[in-house]
Amino acid sequence: MSAFVDKLRSIVGDKGLILDDQGKHPYLTDWRENYLGSALAIVRPATTEEVASVVKLCAAEKVAIVPQGGNTGMSGGGTPHEAGREIVLSLTRMSRILEVDTIGYSMTVEAGVVLKTIQEAAAEHDRLFPLSLGAEGSCTIGGNLSTNAGGVQVLHYGNTRNLVLGLEVVLPSGDIWDGLRALKKDNTGYDLRDLYLGAEGTLGIITRAVLKLWPKPKDHATSWSAIASPQAAVELLSGAYAASEDNVTSCELMGRQGIDLVLKHIPGTTDPLADKHDWYVLMEWSSTRPAREGANAGGLRDKMEAYLGEAMEKGLVLDAVIAQTEAQSKSLWALRENHSEASKKEGPSIKFDISVAVSKIPAFTTVGLAAMRKALPECRPLPFGHVGDGNLHFNCQAPAGWDKARFTPHIETISSAIYDLVVEYGGSISAEHGIGRIKVEELEHYRGKVELDTMRALKRALDPQNIMNPGKVIRV
Amino acid sequence: MPDNVIQPPIPTTPVTSQVMDALRALVGERGLITGEQDKQTFVTDWRGSRIGTASVVVRPATVEETSKVVKLCYDHGIAIVPQAGNTGLMGGATPWPTHQGIVLSVGRMNKVLEVDSVGYSMTVEAGCILQTLQETAAAHDRFFPLSLGAQGSCMIGGNLSTNAGGVQVLRYGNARNLVLGLEVVLPNGDIWNGLRSLKKDNTGYDLKHLFMGAEGTLGIITKAVLKLWPAAKDVATAWMAIRDPQAAIEILSEAHSASEDNVESCELMCREVTEMVLRHIPGVQDPLKADTPWYLLMLWSSSRPRAEGAEGMAEKMEQFLAEQMEKGRVLDAVLAQSEAQTQNMWKIRESVAEAGRAEGAGLSYDISVSISKIPEFIDKGIKAALEILPSLRPHPLGHIGDGNVHFGFGAPTGMDKATLQQYAPAITRAVNDLITSMAGSISAEHGIGIEKLDELAHYRSRTELDTMRTIKRALDPKNIMNPGKVLRL
Repeated sequence: MSAFVDKLRSIVGDKGLILDDQGKHPYLTDWRENYLGSALAIVRPATTEEVASVVKLCAAEKVAIVPQGGNTGMSGGGTPHEAGREIVLSLTRMSRILEVDTIGYSMTVEAGVVLKTIQEAAAEHDRLFPLSLGAEGSCTIGGNLSTNAGGVQVLHYGNTRNLVLGLEVVLPSGDIWDGLRALKKDNTGYDLRDLYLGAEGTLGIITRAVLKLWPKPKDHATSWSAIASPQAAVELLSGAYAASEDNVTSCELMGRQGIDLVLKHIPGTTDPLADKHDWYVLMEWSSTRPAREGANAGGLRDKMEAYLGEAMEKGLVLDAVIAQTEAQSKSLWALRENHSEASKKEGPSIKFDISVAVSKIPAFTTVGLAAMRKALPECRPLPFGHVGDGNLHFNCQAPAGWDKARFTPHIETISSAIYDLVVEYGGSISAEHGIGRIKVEELEHYRGKVELDTMRALKRALDPQNIMNPGKVIRV
Repeated sequence: MPDNVIQPPIPTTPVTSQVMDALRALVGERGLITGEQDKQTFVTDWRGSRIGTASVVVRPATVEETSKVVKLCYDHGIAIVPQAGNTGLMGGATPWPTHQGIVLSVGRMNKVLEVDSVGYSMTVEAGCILQTLQETAAAHDRFFPLSLGAQGSCMIGGNLSTNAGGVQVLRYGNARNLVLGLEVVLPNGDIWNGLRSLKKDNTGYDLKHLFMGAEGTLGIITKAVLKLWPAAKDVATAWMAIRDPQAAIEILSEAHSASEDNVESCELMCREVTEMVLRHIPGVQDPLKADTPWYLLMLWSSSRPRAEGAEGMAEKMEQFLAEQMEKGRVLDAVLAQSEAQTQNMWKIRESVAEAGRAEGAGLSYDISVSISKIPEFIDKGIKAALEILPSLRPHPLGHIGDGNVHFGFGAPTGMDKATLQQYAPAITRAVNDLITSMAGSISAEHGIGIEKLDELAHYRSRTELDTMRTIKRALDPKNIMNPGKVLRL
């Protein structure tokens, strides 16, 4: 094996190689610490050509590769297996923004750029890159693309796959596919781009992308509303489209249990309302047209105030606050974005990233919570999510004080109960987090044979040696 | 169109009388077309420039029948050419002259299965006519945005298989953006049920996008869940004489905010094309009678009804046109005052393909570049073509908001098709070289079919072509599904 490592070193140099156990550790475990894998080496190429050379070497020596971005995935897709015969190929050294085209509303980036850096670069050019999620300070765009990440602005702008014009991908053979096109229309053969997006590194390694940009919003309004039930959230959103003149960019549902955990574990967070309520909606409206000068000039905040006022009269909203400053808006968002962090600090949990048709959210929530409590009466359901996408993080926190060993035996019962319901409701068992390693068996269980066989046929054809993130998404 | 495309090898297993009996047992007499005369429309492309052959045209009534027909062909190695409305421009639905297999027409599967107005979706069979779907959506106070010249006869299955474009891509995206789920009969006859109506679903490889735009080479789309939008309540359409293509881009750029993000379509036309339509299409009026070289057709549309006393789309557009005239971009303009006037303006744009067919020999390139490069492309492209054949008549038009130009040429007056064909390869190479040097696409919305088989092979990298071939071989190992289209294996 040292000969193999020497060959790696000759490609990426000492700077691009991590071999000691302590240095390797952060790359071997997933963010949720569900898995602790092992790897021959962590390889950090600096260029697409180096990635290609490393992949060619691995193809020749039949060494499997686990591509990794910011390692913030929820499904274990970026974590190596325990056997230690793989390398982790980290894209984090490829972190340059190559071009910002403000007139053409696009940006060309390397895969290892941190999402937040991209958002900031767009903002500096008076543009918006809309992908936004809890891990944005550390996740990298290559991982976002490989997992077709979702986030809080899908409602208005779509999933990651809708934010991309072109890709560069290193294939399992080590060949480089240059699909870095910045075209809005291009009907020339099979849509390879959409095949690599969401494939979680099992068909190739995304090394560069041309991203779409949008005009930067000039007028915002953020509100926090207490509501009686998820049904109220769906209705509140439904009316908000017209009231905001199609400017609803986020609509997030949260339960009281989640807020309690955030307030408990995340310093600096406060409850925006005086009384406790069962459910909350965080809503953001934004527009590219600046609010006009003067009071009641038709800015979004005025419109939102009027809309929430009406909703309170109808009993749809029980209490509400509208952020008056940027800082207030941020503190409302902190309550939403710290859900995962707070849950992790509280202890073990099961994460269900499910989707159903929007109109089915209320019914699904009711039966889902009942099913969860039936499976383990002491468990603490922690549902929250993106109402407008039909996407709920229907999570289940372990009973207070339980450790992982005690909770683990119950996971299967709870999971089966929830996933069976999702299928019954015509939903998806993974709306935005992907399959990775954690849902491989669930996918096999719930998807039809024809679909699985088609995916396997693609995987075998495009990665005949099965060296690209093997054992993730689909087993061949 | 270039007749110099050499046919790739395709499976030529014949349909024996035994297989014919089996087909008859599957779809019945009503589902088979065997007479030479009756088969003609199915083996000839819309332009009438390609004529293929088929043993039989099979018209299944259900997905189950489709599945059984495909399975039968798979077992015998018989080639299948899937076909919907047969309005494609690239020959993708037309069999090769040596084709011995079947044409599988989805036209009998033409039911709208469900309209979910609350969930803004509609589940349909592949043989539904596009216009029927637009009307069905409208009847439910909803809007299905796909709109193109052939909408009265093209079918949604073909629109999805070719990832069709049209005049509303600017706002709603290509056909692939209008779809939530698909049902597809695979080359071995298996049915893939991907008829999901979810906005988010990250469960493995995105098969849906692979089948859309594959032009029937990977499977036959039999059903789809389509997205719907709110119906328009306030619209305004204008026909403008404009300074030049650069002015068109500038006008569009400022129209977004002037309309409060309600620009729905923006179509560039030239005088020659307008005149061609007026010559060949009965009942069409020239909206301006201005003898200027460039026109712009623009539609603004809002789903919010015009509020009492407030400015609607028409008032906003009128003000906008006045401003643009002051800036010298708009030379003259007319705002449609009635539904009939609106329809007349759109009929000019939508009849271009029909008029071109009536006009006779011509060349057409469906290209895209980044929007800001359109004027440069039109200018250089016309020069490059005229250098080869100075008497060509340039007919450029297009969806400028998408960067998509239909870069057409009429044959010189008096020149026949055969003579024009002698110049076609050199002109095609010049235009496509230019487009490639400007980082554009040689097929923005019409696809590859037969017509662009060699162009794709010439301009795309080996890695990309090999990857596509690998996918084709993996999913269609016997090469029976629309063989010899899109790719040479």
